[in-house]
Amino acid sequence: MKVTVKSWHAIAQWRWDTGSNSTEDEEGDVCGICRVAFEGCCPSCKVPGDDCPLIWGECSHVFHMHCLLKWIGTAASKQQCPMDRRPWATAERKVNK
Amino acid sequence: MASQYVREQVALKWTNGFARLNRGEPGITGLLTFTEAWILAREFLRPRDINETKPEFVLTQVKLAFELIGECKMLQSLVDEFLEEMKQQQFLITQECERFMSQYESTSDPQYIAQLVMRLQQWYQAWQPASALGTSMMASYTTAFQTHLFSILPPSFPRGFKALISVTFNLTHRASVPQWLLDVAPQVEGQRPDLSLWVAFDQLGFLDRYDSLVSGVCHEYVEEHILETCAEKWDEPMLAKVREWMANTIVPWMMMPYGRGARTSEEARSMLQAVGSRFDFHLCKTLSELRIKEIFDIIVDYPDSMGALQDLKECLQRVDDKALLVSSLRKANHKRLLHPGADTKLILSQYVSIIRCLRVIDPVGVLLFKVADPIRRYLRERQDTIRCIVASLVGDGESGDSLVDDSEPIQPLQQPQADDYTDPQWEPEPIDAGPEFRTNKPSDVISTLVSIYDSKELFVKELQVLLAQRLLAVKDGNYDKERRNIEILKIRFGEASLQVCEVMLKDMTDSRRIDQHVQAQQSSVLHPTIISKHFWPPLQTTTFDMPGQLKEIQERYSKEFVAFKPDKKLSWLPLLGTVKLEIELDDRTIEIDASPLEAAFVELFSQKDVWTLNELIDEVGGSIDRVTALRALSSLVLHEILKESPLDTFNLLNTKEDIEKYGVKGKQREVVMQEEATLPVVTVQQQQAEQMQVFWKFIEGMLKNLGTLPLDRIQQMLKFAPDYDRSIDQLGAFMEAARQEGLVNVKDGFWSLSNA
Amino acid sequence: MAAVSTRRLQKELADIKNHGTPTGITLLKADDFETWYLTLEVLGESLYKGEVFALKFRFEPGYPISSPAVQFVVDDKFRAPLHPHVYSNGHICASILGTEWSPVLSVISVCITLQSMLASCKDKKRPPDNDRYVAHAPENPKKTQFVYHDDEV
Repeated sequence: MKVTVKSWHAIAQWRWDTGSNSTEDEEGDVCGICRVAFEGCCPSCKVPGDDCPLIWGECSHVFHMHCLLKWIGTAASKQQCPMDRRPWATAERKVNK
Repeated sequence: MASQYVREQVALKWTNGFARLNRGEPGITGLLTFTEAWILAREFLRPRDINETKPEFVLTQVKLAFELIGECKMLQSLVDEFLEEMKQQQFLITQECERFMSQYESTSDPQYIAQLVMRLQQWYQAWQPASALGTSMMASYTTAFQTHLFSILPPSFPRGFKALISVTFNLTHRASVPQWLLDVAPQVEGQRPDLSLWVAFDQLGFLDRYDSLVSGVCHEYVEEHILETCAEKWDEPMLAKVREWMANTIVPWMMMPYGRGARTSEEARSMLQAVGSRFDFHLCKTLSELRIKEIFDIIVDYPDSMGALQDLKECLQRVDDKALLVSSLRKANHKRLLHPGADTKLILSQYVSIIRCLRVIDPVGVLLFKVADPIRRYLRERQDTIRCIVASLVGDGESGDSLVDDSEPIQPLQQPQADDYTDPQWEPEPIDAGPEFRTNKPSDVISTLVSIYDSKELFVKELQVLLAQRLLAVKDGNYDKERRNIEILKIRFGEASLQVCEVMLKDMTDSRRIDQHVQAQQSSVLHPTIISKHFWPPLQTTTFDMPGQLKEIQERYSKEFVAFKPDKKLSWLPLLGTVKLEIELDDRTIEIDASPLEAAFVELFSQKDVWTLNELIDEVGGSIDRVTALRALSSLVLHEILKESPLDTFNLLNTKEDIEKYGVKGKQREVVMQEEATLPVVTVQQQQAEQMQVFWKFIEGMLKNLGTLPLDRIQQMLKFAPDYDRSIDQLGAFMEAARQEGLVNVKDGFWSLSNA
Repeated sequence: MAAVSTRRLQKELADIKNHGTPTGITLLKADDFETWYLTLEVLGESLYKGEVFALKFRFEPGYPISSPAVQFVVDDKFRAPLHPHVYSNGHICASILGTEWSPVLSVISVCITLQSMLASCKDKKRPPDNDRYVAHAPENPKKTQFVYHDDEV
């Protein structure tokens, strides 16, 4: 028997590659600031994905970019990562992990 | 002493009487002339048989005689004598009456009644004393004549009289006048042929005596005409036509019983006004009752029944039949609409028609409020109501007719709001409004439907599910219709509510764009729809591993995707989608649209020809259960690709002849299902089901509120129940057990309560 | 569009409803997304054994970027705990509520921090400047520039 796939309509979900690769856990990770899933969008956005991207810190913490920028923009933040209070430094996106 | 006094009194009376009659004439000459006059007058008045010839009288002599009798104050005695004599002669009239009535009774032909009437009139006129005797004389005569007449008319007379009146309605055309009427009733040039008949009725006192009978006949005639011309004739307003008919037919007739004395048309009009308005009321009442009786079907026929609605509206302004309308329509709805046999879609569309129709009749909405209440309550209990409304909102053209009228402007949903008394348009509630009456100010149909429920969130949720189903089924990349619908719904529900739908649509566009890019790099048969998980309703998350070439295709695509979107990755929902396969067997090539799991199994059979069920399940791994696997396999059996033999062992049918090798298929399958039900596994399932009883209340409540749900949504919601720790497969087993107990039904993966 | 705080507080509230609160902490009142009340007690051996306190959270629309105003409730039912960092009017001198606030903190995590602040207390007394501070304190503790007494909290 020979099986040929003529065409295939499949359904997939996209996820951010946060590097954690923490198995295919159901809920996924949330942004520590707004508590919305990374694959959702920050409170000021309506559309997820490229329009509401993530930001990686060198400290390895990840947030919705808009959430983090809002925090960093306040004096109270002292430019620190909300998670570990180390000075925030945005990491280069690790294309080749 | 006493007799002395009496004697004196008698003598005095006699003297006075004599003096009166003798009038002071010498001797008794006065008395003699009086006697002559008396005799002449009596002869003149005598009620004779009109078949005999009446002797000639010299009228001047008769006149003198009456004057003389009058002078002698003896007129009353003369009248008394005349009336007494009349009584003696009445048998003549009785005889004639009996003759005509027996003719009528044997033929039921109203012409004999007409003949009788005309004959009675002759009697009446023949016996009528001279008007010189004064009006009181005339009155006494008429009373005496009629009293006798009415005492001898047989019970069949009113029937005949009615029949005769009925004949008089249709006399507008000369052609329709029966010959006998022309023969019986003397004709007056330029007048109705029945004029003399009416004069006779009047003289004989029939019009007063049978007043209600006359108007009753007319009412019946009007009713008959309305039923004949208006019943089930709904496409045009009939009221004006009926009124026109009334003006042309009934009003000229009405002149006869009610307006004959009129000398000018002005006078006639005022005479007819009261009675005319009574008849118009009756006309409206009849038409209104007819329409109310027909109302359910009128609504079914809407908008083709617009004419009937306008009639009803106008009639109701004249006749207070609103309560009747409400109770009739409620009764009809209860009987014909709100029963388990009626499709929810049908109920909704009839409800929408009711809204539209009652709005025509009563723009304020009091009627609608009263009628709609039971429908709304009923719909709220129906489980698929929301789905139906939503389906029609998005123009799910299954039946072709949408609840939403395309011509109706799309507007935001209207929420019930408190009266704004500063609004210059504000009006108090109509007095017939009930205490709970809420005006739906010019509210549109969709708002009214959505307001069956307390919140619009339920609708948005359902809409999201429906949209997801439709979008995921789209294969040709054409979802313009869905997009357009969402645009429309945004206006209704507000942009914010439909944000998720907006993202779903965007996912569709993005998927296509990504696919174009990926195909440009490395063409693939795989064209995925890539969704943003949190913006779609929960989907089947059952996982399994694609085998062989399918896995390769998938992985190749994933790689290209990551190359294009380096910060993202794909996670497949393996159970969803369709695979078009070409299967080349030894003697035939089959092309099928398979589910991904079916495709996976087919792929496995390309590795070897015989697999057991457990082997297959182990091979695809993930969370595939027996039921799901068997369903996919039986589909392949139906396609005559596989054959199950023996139980739980599946064989590839390399050639058609192989089918024979494994026996007759139909029987085998049944055995499979039965066997499955008696497997030890089932008792384990039942045990689980017992444990699950705790959660049954939750499931029942959720299905009651939301109608039907797919398994993964039930699972999702059960997570809110305390201590719930079952897997979706355990839940599936439980639901299956519940189905076997007859508690729930499942169709296309959607579960519902079975006592619906 | 709803304030950022609303969405975040909805999430926190749903989390509390679904998963409950840590021991010793209960949600007293959360009828809106502006003011919440929770009760706090220190379980196990501590100087505050048997005492129950109430916390009042006030949120600005910018929460969690801006910190919530948190204080102990002082009324006819609740007292402020006797603690070197807690003024008798309920105001709390804790760095996480001021300069050390982080948007990844939440209502519950603030409660836990305060719970442990009480649990680790060794000397039940008011701050030394209590009377002076209370006499001039603003109504909202966020308006106070606290000088943090130590780095423990």
